[in-house]
Amino acid sequence: MKKAFAIAKWEFMEKIKSRAIIISFFLTPLIILGFSILPSIFAEKDEATTEAIGVLDDTQNYFSSLAEKLSEYKLEDKQPRYLVVNLYKSGVNIDSLKADANRNVVKKKMEGYIFLTVNGKKETVFEYRSLSLGNFNDYKRFEDCFNKIRRLQEFKKANIDTALVSHLLNNIEINTVKLDEKGKESSADFKSQYFSSFIFIMILFMVIMMSGGMLVRSLVEEKSNRLIEIIVSSCKPDDILKGKILGLSGLTLTQIVVWALIGTAFAGQGLVLFASFQNLILLLVYFILGFVFYTAIFVGVGSVVTTEQEAQQITGYLSMITISPLVIMIPAMQNPDSILMRVFSYIPLTTPGVMILRLNSAPISTIEIAATLAELLLAIYVVIKISSKIFRIGILSYGKMPSITELFAWLREKE
Amino acid sequence: MLTVKNLRKEYTNTVAIENISFSLQPGKIFGLIGPNGAGKTTTIRIILNIIKPTSGEVLFDGKAMDRTIQNLTGYLPEERGLYKKSTVSDVISYLASLKNVSSPKAAQLANEWLAKLGIIEYKNKKIEELSKGNQQKIQFITAVLHNPKILILDEPFTGFDPINQQLIKETILSLAGEGKIIVLSTHQMDLAEKLCNDIFLINKGKEVCSGSLSEIKRLYGTPSIKIEYQGDASFLNQNSDVTHVDMYQNYAELQLRDSINPSHFLRSLVDKIEIRHFSIIEPTLNKIFIDAVKD
Repeated sequence: MKKAFAIAKWEFMEKIKSRAIIISFFLTPLIILGFSILPSIFAEKDEATTEAIGVLDDTQNYFSSLAEKLSEYKLEDKQPRYLVVNLYKSGVNIDSLKADANRNVVKKKMEGYIFLTVNGKKETVFEYRSLSLGNFNDYKRFEDCFNKIRRLQEFKKANIDTALVSHLLNNIEINTVKLDEKGKESSADFKSQYFSSFIFIMILFMVIMMSGGMLVRSLVEEKSNRLIEIIVSSCKPDDILKGKILGLSGLTLTQIVVWALIGTAFAGQGLVLFASFQNLILLLVYFILGFVFYTAIFVGVGSVVTTEQEAQQITGYLSMITISPLVIMIPAMQNPDSILMRVFSYIPLTTPGVMILRLNSAPISTIEIAATLAELLLAIYVVIKISSKIFRIGILSYGKMPSITELFAWLREKE
Repeated sequence: MLTVKNLRKEYTNTVAIENISFSLQPGKIFGLIGPNGAGKTTTIRIILNIIKPTSGEVLFDGKAMDRTIQNLTGYLPEERGLYKKSTVSDVISYLASLKNVSSPKAAQLANEWLAKLGIIEYKNKKIEELSKGNQQKIQFITAVLHNPKILILDEPFTGFDPINQQLIKETILSLAGEGKIIVLSTHQMDLAEKLCNDIFLINKGKEVCSGSLSEIKRLYGTPSIKIEYQGDASFLNQNSDVTHVDMYQNYAELQLRDSINPSHFLRSLVDKIEIRHFSIIEPTLNKIFIDAVKD
């Protein structure tokens, strides 16, 4: 074991000194930060100016109410968001008005216009016409405003108390309160749960892919320069395997600590996210076990690789396997106790990912936690056993990669 | 003493080595020679406990090779390379730690060895900044730093210029003088001939011949005779005492029938040609190697 520590120390120290690691330490959080903050910055930018919106109301019923309602939307500087322009002129043919409006939109004199008319079946037609329909928020607002006004008018016609109606027309939004096993309340909605789990799992996969790739590359280097023979002539292959896993785990933990520090330093938001994890320690346990499990697979498979090219291919495939739990992420969150999710919780490849999701969305019985942890530990044991058998022979075989039959022959070989 | 007994190693479809046995004495250099793919590397890997033999055993002072004995071995593989991005002292100290040498001790020994091989100034340089020859020296140091009792050197001279070859040769000889068991695997027969006390010639996984250098020369090589002369020596072609003749401008190289004494043969020549020089040339290891492998 002493030699395993020597190897772990070497792997850790050499990697941490490398430029690639320093870049990833600081660049990765910046990228994550960029992805999470930039969209909202851009979205806000979008709302920074007042936009001219035309209303061509052929029915002549809605313009004034609509203009009034839309003027309630304000920008940050209290300026109105929409400048509502009446495009209707009495006595002018509606089609020529429409053609004029279209021209003005094309000339960018206004952002777009709302067209209201009644069709042959006496149904109200409500359209928003613009060059770009990308701003979902805008026409959602138009729709809301219009429907409110329309209902209000219809109720008025039917002589129903308008005060009551406008009161009833206000939606009451649902408030979600999450309970833990002890009945303690916390406020968390689906979105924040989704994103916090998502970030956790993304970090897991990112570190697995990065360190897995690093591991395979370092094995390829040691194989190609035959250093591996010197190392194997000095210690047990198992010690090499343990040392490498240990060194990389240390490196990964350091990396996560650095990221967490950067996260807290940059944005309080990060803190809020982490606070929404109720089972942080348990989550970390699944995270670390997941990391060890996947790394053990990488070591075994990586040991048979002999060229940089093969290394890239193999890490590509392995990464795809590791990232596969993301596919079942939304169903897992929506229905954390479904049979399917329970099954996935016991498949080692998906255990860490699915359990992180489930833990984050609903309380899970202690028995299930204990069982999945036991299953994961057993899987790690088995994978390390298999990997070390492959590793023992793989690191000493050069040239072509072994076939599946050869691999099985290796597994059967006695130590 | 290191004893190798009846080693056999089989892979899925091939037998890499078969029935390999020899023993090595401290203070002696053992030449393991043979053509490419003969089984040298397999034998070395088994001695170093890198792979297990299918059958047979390796004993060091009567005990089976195990993990503790691994700390007593030093290995310079044929194909070389070190961690290119790391510094000389880091690499030396890491590989020493795998042989259970503490880092202060490793640092001290590294200084001694770097000075000895004349590259102390590169101590804090990265491996990739060193010339190929100097990288080889570092690799040599990593093989010997922990003062191993068994030292296995696979082609230790490749990549060195003649001056450094000389330096490495002297170093190897002095290590033998300290009582180490040294296995030298090489294709450079002249160097093997100069350095090795014992030779083991392996081909196609099997022993071709083994023993002390002089013994092998006596048993497997036929000495030749070189004669420098004046006169007509064409009669040598028909001489029944001679089995093979190579005639040159002023001299001839010939081989005699086993029963013929060279002194008697010289006497028979004196009347026919004027002899200027007469010598018995020992067979070279190179010749023995080529003959053995051809057969």
